[in-house]
Amino acid sequence: MTVFHFFNCAILTFGPHAVYYSATPLSEYDTLGTSIKAALVYLGTALVKLVCLATFLKVSENDSFDPYQELLKALIGFVDVAGLYFALTQLTHRNIAQNHKFQAVGLGWAFADSVLHRLAPLWVGARGLEFTWDYILQGIEANANLVLSISLAALGSLIWLRKNKPKTLIPIIYACAVIVATMPSITSYLRRGLGWHFPKVVGFELFTSLVMAFISCQLFAACQKPSA
Amino acid sequence: MGSRKAREREMLDSVCSMIALVFFLVTCVELCDAATVVDVYRLIQYDISGAPFGSRLAKLNHHAGSLHFPPGADLSRTVLMIPVRDLNITFLQDYIAQRQPLGGLLFLLPQMFSFENKDDMRSNHQNQGNDLLKNVVAELEQLLIHANVPYPVYFAFEDDDIDAVLADVKRTDAIGQPATATTGGFKLVVSAPEPKKLISPIITNIQGWLPGLKTDGDASQLPTIAIVASYDTFGAAPALSVGSDSNGSGIVALLEIARLFSLLYSNPKTRGRYNLLFGLTSGGPYNYNGTQKWLRSFDQRLRESIDYAICLNSIGSWDNELWIHVSKPAENVYIKQIFEDFSNVAEGLGFKVGLKHKKINISNPRVAWEHEQFSRLRVTAATLSELFTAPELLESTGGLVDSRHFVNETAIIRSVKLVAESLARHIYGYQGNNIQIFADGGSLAVNPSYIQSWLDFLSRTPRVAPFLSKNDPLVMALKKELEDHTHEVNVQNEVLDGMFTFYDLTKARLAIYQVASVTFDLLLLLVLGSYLIVLFSFLVITTRGLDDLISIFRRPPSRKVKTA
Repeated sequence: MTVFHFFNCAILTFGPHAVYYSATPLSEYDTLGTSIKAALVYLGTALVKLVCLATFLKVSENDSFDPYQELLKALIGFVDVAGLYFALTQLTHRNIAQNHKFQAVGLGWAFADSVLHRLAPLWVGARGLEFTWDYILQGIEANANLVLSISLAALGSLIWLRKNKPKTLIPIIYACAVIVATMPSITSYLRRGLGWHFPKVVGFELFTSLVMAFISCQLFAACQKPSA
Repeated sequence: MGSRKAREREMLDSVCSMIALVFFLVTCVELCDAATVVDVYRLIQYDISGAPFGSRLAKLNHHAGSLHFPPGADLSRTVLMIPVRDLNITFLQDYIAQRQPLGGLLFLLPQMFSFENKDDMRSNHQNQGNDLLKNVVAELEQLLIHANVPYPVYFAFEDDDIDAVLADVKRTDAIGQPATATTGGFKLVVSAPEPKKLISPIITNIQGWLPGLKTDGDASQLPTIAIVASYDTFGAAPALSVGSDSNGSGIVALLEIARLFSLLYSNPKTRGRYNLLFGLTSGGPYNYNGTQKWLRSFDQRLRESIDYAICLNSIGSWDNELWIHVSKPAENVYIKQIFEDFSNVAEGLGFKVGLKHKKINISNPRVAWEHEQFSRLRVTAATLSELFTAPELLESTGGLVDSRHFVNETAIIRSVKLVAESLARHIYGYQGNNIQIFADGGSLAVNPSYIQSWLDFLSRTPRVAPFLSKNDPLVMALKKELEDHTHEVNVQNEVLDGMFTFYDLTKARLAIYQVASVTFDLLLLLVLGSYLIVLFSFLVITTRGLDDLISIFRRPPSRKVKTA
C-alpha cells in the first residue's frame, strides 16, 4: 500500500518529464543526448553551488530568514544561470533547431534537479506507513519547476543565441529572466520570511510558473516573427 | 566442479547478506518517521501454576478504533483506544468474558496516575471525581489481572498528541466508517519480540540490626523486636506499579523508625536492652514468600528471641483509624500488651487504633498479612495497616491507582510516631506513662522532609520483584540507607518459588501512523493518469497539431513497421 503511494508520487514527480519528451517533437529529432548533457552540466553546477554555499554561508541554527544571507544565496543561485549559459552555448551535440535545443536543455536541467532533490526524500519518506500530503505537493512542485526551467532556458536562448531581437523587447526579456532565475530565493523568502505553509508556496510556484511560461512563450513568438 | 559450486554458494551468501543489509537499513529508516511516538506500558503477563493470565501478546500492528464503533463491527483487526475516564467496566467485562476477538486494547490513563507528573500533586486530594476515577481504575486493574487476554493490552498516559488522535478516531467512528485498510485512519504499531519467560526470578530481602546494650555477666540473649515491611509491588502494568501506599508508606515509616532509634542507640546511656531487627522483605504480593524465606533462614535461638514483630503495611492514606491485625485472639497476653501500648499512644496523638483478629488456616496457602508468616512459626506478630479487611491475592499490592497523588505524608508521620513511641515505651519501660519521646521540635522529632523525599523516590520507582535484578539501584539504595542507620546489614537473595511464572517486556514504544486508504491511492493513481494523458494530448496538439494526436492513436502498428 505504501509502495503504491511511492509509485504515485514518483509518477507525479517524474512523469511529466517523460511525457514532455515523448509528446513534443523532441523525441522525433532524438535530442536525448542534449538533455543528458544538460543534466550532467546541472550536476557540475550543483557541485559548484554546493562548494560556494559551504564556503560563503554561515550555518544558521534556527530556520529564520536572514536578508543578508538570503541575498548571498540568491547571488550564488546565479551560478545556475551560468551553468545554463554553458549548456546552451557551449554544448554542440548535433545540429538541432534552436527551439528544440532550449527545450531539451530545460528538460534535462529540470529532470536532473528532480532526481537530485526529490528522489531520495521520496524513497525514504513516501514508503513509510505515515501518510502526509508533502510528497504529493513535492511532485506538483517538480511540475512547476519543469515549466520554470524550460521558461528560463527559452529566455536564455533568446538572450544568448538570437542575435536579431526587436530592441523594445530586450529589457522585458532580461526582467523576466531575472525573475525566473531568482524564483528559488523568492519561494524561500515566502516560506521562511513570511511563514507560508507548503501548500500555499506550491500553489504560488505553480501559478507563477504558468504565468512566466505564458510570457516567455509570447516573447519567443514575438522574437520569431521578424526572422520568419 | 565442486569448487565452482562452492564459489556459487559463496556468491549467493554474499548476495543474501547484501540484501539483508539493505533491508536492515531500510527498516532503520522506517522506524523513526511516525507522527507520534509515545511510551506505553504493557499489561502484565504471568502464569499461576500453568494457568495463563494477563495479556498474552506484545506485538501490535492494527488500526485504531474507539468505543463508538458501530454495533456488530468486526474488531479482530482493531485496537480499541479507551480513555479510562469514560470506561464502561461492565461492557469490558462482558467483552473479555465472552472472549470476543480484538486486535488489541490501549487504555489512556489520566495524567494524575503518572509518576512523572510533578505538578498538582496532593492538590485536590479530596476531590470526589478523582475518587470515582480511582475506583474505576482499581476495578479495571483487578479485571485485567485475573483475566486471560489473548491480545496485546497497553496503558498510556493522556497527552495532547494522543488526545488529538483519539478525537480523530472518534469522529470517523461516529460517521460509521471504522478504520480499515480501505478507509485509512490511524495505525498503531508496537514492534516487540515475543515475550519470554523470566527464568527463576530472584527476590531480595534486606535486614539490619540495632543491637541492644548487654550488661556484663548477662549470659542470656537480649530479646528482639522486629519491624518489618515488604517493599515490592504488583500491578496491571509492572512498569507503573510504584505502590506509594502499598507499601511505599511502610518502607518510609520503617526507614524513619530506624533513623530515630539509631539516634537513641548511638548513645550508650539511651541504648535499650532490646535488639531491634529491621527487615525489608520482598515477594509480598505472592503470599509473603520473601518473608517466609527470611524467617526460615534464622536459626532457632534467634527466632525464639523475637519478642514480637510489627509489620507495616499501607499506612499512608488514613484519616483517624488504624488497625492492628493479629492472628491470635485478643485475650492472648502478648497481643493484649501490644494493643494496649499502641492504643495508649494513639490516644495521646488523637486517633484510634482498632484490633482485628483473623485466624490462620494452615491448609490454605493464602497468606493475607505479613504477620501470618511470623505466626505460622509461632512468633508473636501484628500488622499495622489502614486496611480493615484482609486483601485477596494480588489485591492492594501497589498497582495502577496507588500513586503519590493519593498518599498523605501526615498520615505516615503519625504512623511513625505511633510505632516509634509505643516501641520506645516498651523498650524503656514507660508503659502507661504519657510522655513523648519523639515530640515535635525535639532532637528526636520525626523528620517530614526525610519522609517526603523517600516517599517521592519510592513513588517514582516501579518495584515488581521479578523485574528487579539482584543489584537493582533500588535494592542498593535501600541497603545503603539501612547501613547508614543500623549495623550488620545483610542482603539475602532467594529464588521466588511457588506457582508464579512471569514474562518480560513491561515497557514499549507505540508509534501512531496516519495512513491513507487503498481507495485513496487508487483514486490518486487515476487522477495522475488522466493528468498525464491530458498533458500529453495538450503538448501534442500545441506542438504538432491535432492530426498528429489522432494519428498516434489510430495507427500504432504502422510506426512499428517503420522502425523495423
